[in-house]
Amino acid sequence: MSNVKTEHRPARRFQSETLLDLVSRWAFMVPAGLILVAMLAYPILYTLEISFALIDLSTFQVTEWVGWENYEFVLSDSRFWASLKVTAVYLALSLPLQMVLGFGIAYLINVEWKGRGFIRALFLIPMVVAPVVAGGVWRMMLDPLYGLTNYLLSFVGLGPYDWLGDSWLAMLTIVIIDTWRWTPFIVLIATASILSLSRDIFEAADIDGANWWTKLWSISIPLLLPMIVATFIVRWLGAVKMFDIALAATGGGPGAATQVINLYIYEEAFRSLHFAESAAMAMIVLVGTMMLTGVFLRGSRKLEDLY
Amino acid sequence: MHRFAVTHKLRIGGGIVVALLFLLPVFWMVLTSFKFQRDIFTTPPTVFFTPTLENYSNYLQRSSIPYQMLNTAIVAFGSGLISIFTGAMAGYALARLRIRGAGLLGVLILMSRGVPPIALAVPMFLVGRSLGLIDKHIFLILAYCTFLIPYVMWLMRSFFIALPKELEESAMIDGCSRFGAFFKIIVPISLPGLLSTLIFCVILAWEELLFAIVLTNRVASTVPVAIANIAGDTVNGANWGALTAVGTMTVIPVVIFALLVQKWLIQGLADGATKG
Amino acid sequence: MEQLKTAMGLLSRRKTMLLGAAALAMQGLAGSHVAAQESGGGLGTADSPVQLRIIADAAYGNAWQQVMVPKFNEKYPHIKVTIDPVPYTELLAKAMLDATASTPTYDILVLDDPWTPQVAQTGALVDLRKETAQWTNEGYDWDDFNAAPLAATQWKGVQYGVPMRSNMLLMFVNKTLYKKAGLPVPTPDLTWKEYLEQAPKLVQDTNGDGVVDAWAIGTYFKRDPLTPTIWQSILNSEGGRLLDNAGKPAFNDEIGVKALETHVELLKYAPPGAISHGYSEALAAFRQGQVATSFMWGSVYRNSAVDPKTTTLTPEQVGLQVLPVGAKMGGSNRGIASGTIHAKSKKKEAAWAFLQWFSSKEGELYHVNNLGGFPARKSTLATKPNADNEWMTPVFAALQQGFDVIEAGEMWRVRHPKSDAVQQALADAVASAISGQASAKAALDDAARRAERALR
Repeated sequence: MSNVKTEHRPARRFQSETLLDLVSRWAFMVPAGLILVAMLAYPILYTLEISFALIDLSTFQVTEWVGWENYEFVLSDSRFWASLKVTAVYLALSLPLQMVLGFGIAYLINVEWKGRGFIRALFLIPMVVAPVVAGGVWRMMLDPLYGLTNYLLSFVGLGPYDWLGDSWLAMLTIVIIDTWRWTPFIVLIATASILSLSRDIFEAADIDGANWWTKLWSISIPLLLPMIVATFIVRWLGAVKMFDIALAATGGGPGAATQVINLYIYEEAFRSLHFAESAAMAMIVLVGTMMLTGVFLRGSRKLEDLY
Repeated sequence: MHRFAVTHKLRIGGGIVVALLFLLPVFWMVLTSFKFQRDIFTTPPTVFFTPTLENYSNYLQRSSIPYQMLNTAIVAFGSGLISIFTGAMAGYALARLRIRGAGLLGVLILMSRGVPPIALAVPMFLVGRSLGLIDKHIFLILAYCTFLIPYVMWLMRSFFIALPKELEESAMIDGCSRFGAFFKIIVPISLPGLLSTLIFCVILAWEELLFAIVLTNRVASTVPVAIANIAGDTVNGANWGALTAVGTMTVIPVVIFALLVQKWLIQGLADGATKG
Repeated sequence: MEQLKTAMGLLSRRKTMLLGAAALAMQGLAGSHVAAQESGGGLGTADSPVQLRIIADAAYGNAWQQVMVPKFNEKYPHIKVTIDPVPYTELLAKAMLDATASTPTYDILVLDDPWTPQVAQTGALVDLRKETAQWTNEGYDWDDFNAAPLAATQWKGVQYGVPMRSNMLLMFVNKTLYKKAGLPVPTPDLTWKEYLEQAPKLVQDTNGDGVVDAWAIGTYFKRDPLTPTIWQSILNSEGGRLLDNAGKPAFNDEIGVKALETHVELLKYAPPGAISHGYSEALAAFRQGQVATSFMWGSVYRNSAVDPKTTTLTPEQVGLQVLPVGAKMGGSNRGIASGTIHAKSKKKEAAWAFLQWFSSKEGELYHVNNLGGFPARKSTLATKPNADNEWMTPVFAALQQGFDVIEAGEMWRVRHPKSDAVQQALADAVASAISGQASAKAALDDAARRAERALR
């Protein structure tokens, strides 16, 4: 009898310890989780709810369930598909460009000299300028009538280009402005991650006589990979939602050439007051974004395993 | 050694050139802020003109912009600090603590960013309205936390993963609790990542417009709202002198903050190096 | 058992007491509510002033707070007015969100021209001819208003608001450029045919360096909810209509298509890059003396012709009139900012006092002379502005012309609870026709389908 007791005691203590440990582990997740659940649970459920309903604008509550009707309407709306296509083109052009430029610049400016901190701080400015002002200043510079860009280009015999009036150039303009704005973010995070790389490894490589290419390819990139992936994911989730720059620079035009999906959702909700349809669009975009994020995460895990 | 010095200088030069390219639109913004409206949209563009400080003095004296600037700072730093605190802890849990189910939770939190903000703004307003929190700083701060925390969590997770595991293991053998190990060992060594992420958070909250318009009226109203107000002038057309002046004014505090943080960061790194 | 009984007794007694208290409180609430409605909250006293909250477009909200409110307080010192400025593009959504609350923040909503039906539909607005009639001053002259601006806040036979700031689409003329091209300066009789014949000559090289530096037209071409107002004013002046008598889209007929083709044709005589030009850019080009005409909102006159800090032009150089004449009449489009009172406001009397003062002859004149705000009353338009504002005399003449054609040609945006959805459909159609992504006919047919769904 006593034998059994003594056998159980340490096990029980172990259990309570692990329980305590489990609680203390979860405690790390709790504050973030609480804020997010408190602030997001109702809004997301509400969006889901009204995407299946008609809403009464005098209460903003559901008046009638309409099943998949809003979704059917959205999916048969050629504008919705066109704006998805525009978004895809914008993402395909700007994300790789920003990643390469961002890490490249971070590597470039990461040399030891007095002005380094200052240069890094300057690189933040494009991100800080309010989108309305940024879009407007770029418009001002790119306008074919009074803009600086075409004026400067004319000295080297180029142009004139209608940066905002030609469908393709307008898309390119959006990509350029977005890249100007968000490359600094990647530079910021990339610099921090390069700084946190341990110097010992590079010193060891120097002793081994490795050239910079070997150092970059077989030391820096593998070590930075988790950071590169995380930066990409954060940038991707930010870029999907972009509409402020498009609104300020082109208003989605010419025609609908730069109408990204979030601009369309914004117009449907805030201008046309079609809240239910825009909720249906938001849910479709949410599911699409979740699926693609899942693909990226899985792909990144494969990449990490590779090294 | 000589070749090293040359590439060193080339990299410095290259860095400066790239920085200048990125700053060209900023330069144009600052230049425009000293122009009378008459001189802004000229063909060809005017570089030499009679400068004026009117754009600055008008908006600093007569309007609510200084007050809104204060609000912006409160909201941006408030949400930045809360997010970095809670987000870094969650990121650490994901990176190191191996909790069953937490990985999935982390992915879900991350994916909550996929909801278009426009869809969230209206129901969030309805929540705030029924709780009497509309036009309160704290509500805007918490609203910003919803998009900052997932970013912080995910970025910090990657920073923590890159740290050697022996760090907190040895600390915990020394009798530190999990919290002690995190705050005493992990946080100091991750300072570059934490501060960069904090800068990123502050900037994101600093320029946010949509939630600021929907969730505030007057008391907690921020500078981006003031900017949107000037830009959308339906009576006289947008006053670009004023807009660029306010734009310039909003940039300055953040740049100063970033410079201060950099100094602190480099000092912190040096301390860490001597300790290690 | 005894214990239980006493407990039950206590409980039920407490229950009845609670219920009674609740009922009393409710009664009190309801009573005070009724009383408040009857009294309208009064006009305030020195000890307890009335706090009025107003939501308005930032473009004038800030200026009103600084200039109009102090003047109002000279007459009504115990009504404290706070105007919250909101950017125009978010104003409707924000007003709707607040107006539908059980205890709304705002007593007065200042709404743009096409918004009254959208807000009135939710039951949020007061009938100003009935519910506030008891507090209407005897001297308040409803009949003095031009019919067009007053009609902006009429819906289903109810008057929901009063005009606070009138605006309308007008044609700005740079007389110097007309003279340089050897053309007669336009008069309000100018027809679209004449205008389009003269346009090529207005694309000219003014300084003789061999490079074209002046164009015929600067106006809205970009993708914007206000771009269709240009097309619509052509449509209306040719006798076309947005909706037929049954309220169905009628704009995709031959007249509508031709009007859109005319709008697209204007692009030929506009400066380079005009396809992405809207309010700001067209305005900049006109102020720089680069375009001979501009179809623009009249409110920009002061900053385009008078103020040397913002424009290179002078009042002598700038003409103002209605848009060219089509088969039927000249063209314009209405943009009236009107004050409405929230149905749940507990301060209706004070709110109505503010709106009455603001839209009275006295208020309008003060608005004209101190902020250059355009009036809606016939009597105000017939007065001479004070010496500082002499430039306003020709503007007043153009405004009166504008009100007349607007009334005759129904030149306003769709009035319906879904009017902004229709406007967005029209904006898409005009944008795709102007950018060449669709023919005028195809674009308008598509817009008609979307508008019909929205209006259902």
